Formats: sequence, structure tokens, C-alpha cells
Amino acid sequence: MSSTIATDSHGLSDSWTIGERVCAALMPLIAVVEVLILTVTGCFSYCPCISIIDQNHKCTYTAKDFAILADETRFTVEEVEALHVLFKRLSSSLIDDDSIHKEELQLALFQTPYGKNLFLDRVFDVFDQKRNGVIEFDEFVHALSVFHPYAPMDEKIDFAFKLYDLRQTGFIEPEEVKLMVVAILIEFDMNLPDDLLEAIVHKTIADADKDNDGKISREDWKAFVSRNPSLLINMTLPYLKDITSVLSSFVFKTEAKP
Amino acid sequence: MSGKQAARPRTRVGKYELGKTIGEGSFAKVKFAKNVENGNHVAIKILDRNHVLRHKMMEQLKKEISAMKMINHPNVVKIYEVMASKTKIYIVLELVNGGELFNKIAKNGKLKEDEARRYFHQLINAVDYCHSRGVYHRDLKPENLLLDSNGVLKVTDFGLSTYAQQEDELLRTACGTPNYVAPEVLNDRGYVGSTSDIWSCGVILFVLMAGYLPFDEPNHAALYKKIGRAQFTCPSWFSPEAKKLLKLILDPNPLTRIKVPELLEDEWFKKGYKQATFIMEEDINVDDVAAAFNDSKENLVTERKEKPVSMNAFELISRSQSFNLENLFEKQQGSVKRETHFTSQRPANEIMSKIEEAAKPLGFNVHKRNYKMKLQGDKSGRKGHLSVATEVFEVAPSLHMVELRKTGGDTLEFHKFYKNFSSSSGLQDVVWHSEEKQ
Repeated sequence: MSSTIATDSHGLSDSWTIGERVCAALMPLIAVVEVLILTVTGCFSYCPCISIIDQNHKCTYTAKDFAILADETRFTVEEVEALHVLFKRLSSSLIDDDSIHKEELQLALFQTPYGKNLFLDRVFDVFDQKRNGVIEFDEFVHALSVFHPYAPMDEKIDFAFKLYDLRQTGFIEPEEVKLMVVAILIEFDMNLPDDLLEAIVHKTIADADKDNDGKISREDWKAFVSRNPSLLINMTLPYLKDITSVLSSFVFKTEAKP
Repeated sequence: MSGKQAARPRTRVGKYELGKTIGEGSFAKVKFAKNVENGNHVAIKILDRNHVLRHKMMEQLKKEISAMKMINHPNVVKIYEVMASKTKIYIVLELVNGGELFNKIAKNGKLKEDEARRYFHQLINAVDYCHSRGVYHRDLKPENLLLDSNGVLKVTDFGLSTYAQQEDELLRTACGTPNYVAPEVLNDRGYVGSTSDIWSCGVILFVLMAGYLPFDEPNHAALYKKIGRAQFTCPSWFSPEAKKLLKLILDPNPLTRIKVPELLEDEWFKKGYKQATFIMEEDINVDDVAAAFNDSKENLVTERKEKPVSMNAFELISRSQSFNLENLFEKQQGSVKRETHFTSQRPANEIMSKIEEAAKPLGFNVHKRNYKMKLQGDKSGRKGHLSVATEVFEVAPSLHMVELRKTGGDTLEFHKFYKNFSSSSGLQDVVWHSEEKQ
């Protein structure tokens, strides 16, 4: 019986004309083009979050969205709402599209959207978990949760490790440390000869590399940070403990819809 | 560069940063010190460990210091802890900063009888309390009577007499005077610590009220003779009751000399007498004393010159503005930085001196602590007084980084300050300029 079916289907396709075959092949392609045209003309919007789409084609978060983010992080629903106000301010500073572009983050941190900065790139990349070139609100909240004063130390240690593991190999290598030292000296408008640079890098790697493999593993890093807790000083933002009052001076209109 | 000598690196012993010497003997010195963990000031008596060993005083000293550590009395200088290095023993003491009691006499002459009695009450309270704990002074003299900032008498060097006497053998025979020492001690007849301490208290009382010593002769032989016979005359202004008490205290026979319980019942003494009130401390640990005096290496502290904090690559990197996410929360973001840095290849203490030299003419008060400095503007600006925190870090051998951070006041004023500050000739000497860096 199965052979009959096979023969039938084969016979059916044989009876198609060349025109029908071309049409069948192009049909999916036409559909894709149509979707693209509709998207460009704004017939429907892409929004990366669970949200309602308003008339301005922007993501409007619901109370449910805020509650989900609050569950997933160290923030209360009110604090997530407050962070949304901050997020909107940052994400509309250059391009008003409900996501933070690298230039917008640079503007917030350096008061200028111009210039290249290795550390800014790293912060941006670690925040941008979906790797789509922008920081969306859920990514923003998840990343800031690590900076909460009550966040576990392990999360902070891990986040810092990701920042410094430039090539994302799971190790911080001497070349990466050197690149970062050069970058910070440029930021400080300082310039050191190569031998001094090497001395700084060598001493740090020697101090941190417990298993003597010439690079810093996650375990090495954890032990190193426990001996040098000041390394994590920027990994805690006291503001986040009282975010609602810190941000109360911004225009405070909640976007939550029932 | 100015010819002014650069500040010396500070010395650290354990958690204490040693300061200037405030007292010195042949084998011991006392230094002002600061507990870097809590900022409290203390005095540290530094004994020569080899001297203690040579004179076989280890056990006796250990016993007495342990006993003294247990003593917590308002009129006795407190021993906080004891440490030892390979060559020294460090006794951390309560810092008493009102000077010696006898400075009052040097300045004002004799004291009124009531005032002298008040100090004598405190002295006897201290002596009696220590005696009841089995600790004798055996070397009470003016240098050991201090006043705190409220004018309360504090007796120091209780329990250190074993050590002090070794030192004073020299003094009594050569350059010093045994004016306060009981006759039985001078004659080496064997003595009881409690009665010899009472004698010394009597001499001290006499000096407080008279303004001069009861026994004073230019040569030692005559002096010993006078002390041995208790030949002294009270001045006319002493009250009869005071004269009577002094006769009982300065009795050359230790067996018939007045004892503390009888003294407490004396009519002159009882006037205005208040017993000391204080809280007994439970569970005082004396393990540190034992550790300081035993031969084990594991508890030894090292005396080291204070160095700037060494900054590793990650500490440097973490100072990037990109990692300071606080900027996300700033309502008004100015285009000016609130901190700045420069590098220098000069020694850290020289950098500190130059910063101080450059800041003072600009109207800044300077508060130093280790290799940190707080510069406080004396004029109020747009947002109050400008204050700047500075710290010197060691980034690599012979390379220092100096961080200046605005901690108060207006940011634009900070920039104006830094412009003037960094262009001062003194600072130009230590800043490592770009052309040198290439």
C-alpha cells in the first residue's frame, strides 16, 4: 500500500507544468518579500518583549511584564517601573526606539556619543545578552540586577570576569590585560613605556594565576577577587537599593497598563 | 626642587602606625601611634627584647604585664595589647594627653592643699587597686603621673617596674636621683612592694603641697643618709593634719609605716574622698602577652615602613568611567570629570610633600593619613567648601599614580583648582610629563 501511495504522489508531481513548478518554487520567496514590505510600511511592528503595541509602534510594557521581570531579578515591581522610566530616558536620547544603542550608553557614561572605548564595548556586549546590537529593557533590568547591593557576590564576580574576558574564551589572558591597561591609560590621558606596561601586566597575572598556566581562569579570578575585594567596588550601585526615590525626580508616568 | 626634606615613610607595627617619640629611656621608648583600623590614638612602649632576655626578666615581666592587662581602673593607664617582633616588645597603652602632673607644679609652683589632696586620693586609689591585684609599682615618680584631658590623674608604668629598675640602677648611681625611693629599696634590705609604693606616694604628696622635694642633697651619700633617717621638715603652710599624715607615710621603717587601710581612715585624707567608680571587665584575654614573650615565631609582628597601596592592573582598569554605572543615574550630567590622575616616578613620600606644598598656598587645609590626603578648601564656593581626596598608588616599581577626586563642592571649581594646583612649580617637579613618557 505504501508503494502505491509513493507511485501516486510521484505521478502527481510529474503531471505539473513548468509554469506550475516555477510558481511553487517562488511562492515562499514572494511571501518573505511581502512580509518585508509590510514591515517597512509599518503594517505590524516587531517588539522584542511580551508587550502591547501602541499607535507609535513602541513597546508598552504591561503590569504583567513588570511582575515577570521583578520575579526574575532582585527588584520589586515598583522598582522595575522606576527602571523603565530611566530606560526610556536613556533609550530615547539619540534614537527614540525603545532600545539602548551603544552611542546612547556612551552618551550616558561619557557625556559624548563619539569616540571608541574598549570598556564601553565590553559593558555593552555583556548587557546585550541576545547579541542583537541593542540593549532591550529586559536585558537592562537583568544586568542591573547584578549591581544590586544584595546581589550574591558570585554573580558580581562572574559579571566582572565576563567584562575582562575580551575574547570570551573562558580565560583572561595576558594580551587582554595589556589591551585593557593601554585603554585605561588612554582614558586617563597617560602614556607608559612598554617595559612598564609589561611589568604591570606580568605582576598582576603572577598574583592572580594560581594554577600557573599563564592565564586567569574563573577559579583563579574568584580567589584573586576574594584577596582584592576592591576590584568589585564598581559592581555595586547603592542607588539600586532605593531606585524609586533616586528616579522620582525624573518625569514619573508609569507605562503599565492593566 | 625645594630643599625641604621629604616626609619619611611611616612605620607600621601590626595594625598600628607609629608616630613621634613621646618618651625615651636607655632601653625603652614610648611612641605616639594610631590604630589604622579605627583611627584611635594610642601610646606604644617599645622594649628591647634582648635586654629583657639578658637580664632574665622575661618571666617576671610576662607575669606583671599579664596582671596589668587585667587592670581596668580610671586612674591607671590601660594596657590594650602586647606584641613582639624578633628584637622588640611592644606594649600598646592608653594615650594620656594632658601632660605630666608635675608640669603643673613647674608652671604654677605648689598646689593648694585641697587640690593636692584630690590628686593624692586618685593616686592612692590607683595604688590600692593595683596592690589588691598583686601588682606593685616600685618606681613611682613624677614622670609616671599623667593627667588626661579632663585633669584626671593616670598612673603609668605599673607592672613595668622589673624593666624600669634595670634602667634605674644606672640612674640611681650615675646621673639620676633616687628622691622618691623608699630607704629599704635603696639599702637593698629586701622589701615589700606595697610599703615602698606608699613611701613614694608620700614624697609625691609632699612635692605637690610644698613645690620642692623633702629629701634633696647635692651628693648621693648625704641624700641616702637623709632618706634612711627620714630627715625632712614640712613647710609652715602645711596643715597640722597633713604634717601628721606625712610623718606616718615617710616612716623609714617599712614595718611600722602606715598601710593603705589605715591611710583611708586618716582625718586629713578622708576630707572630700570619693572611691573610684568603674566597670569591671570580664574575660580579658592575655594570650597576646604569652605569645609576645614566648619563643614561637608565628606570633611575631614585623616593623615595616609604610608604603602606598600597590595597584594591580585590574584595580587600574576598574577605574574606567565606563565601569562607573552611577553616571546612568545622574540627573544632570555635566561634561566635566570629577576626578583626575597623574603619574610620577618620584618616591611616594616626596609626592605627598609636594602635594601639600602646592595645596596650602591655594587656601587648602591638608589632612594626611598614610598615603591618602584630604584637601579642604577654607573658602566656601558655589556649592560649599571644595574638598578633594588624593591618594598615591604604586602602579609598578618606581612608578606611582596619583588620583585626585572631588568629594565636595563644585565640579567646575575643582577643575579650576586642579589647573592652578598642577601648574605650581613644586608639583611640576614630581609630575611625569608626556614628553618624558614617550
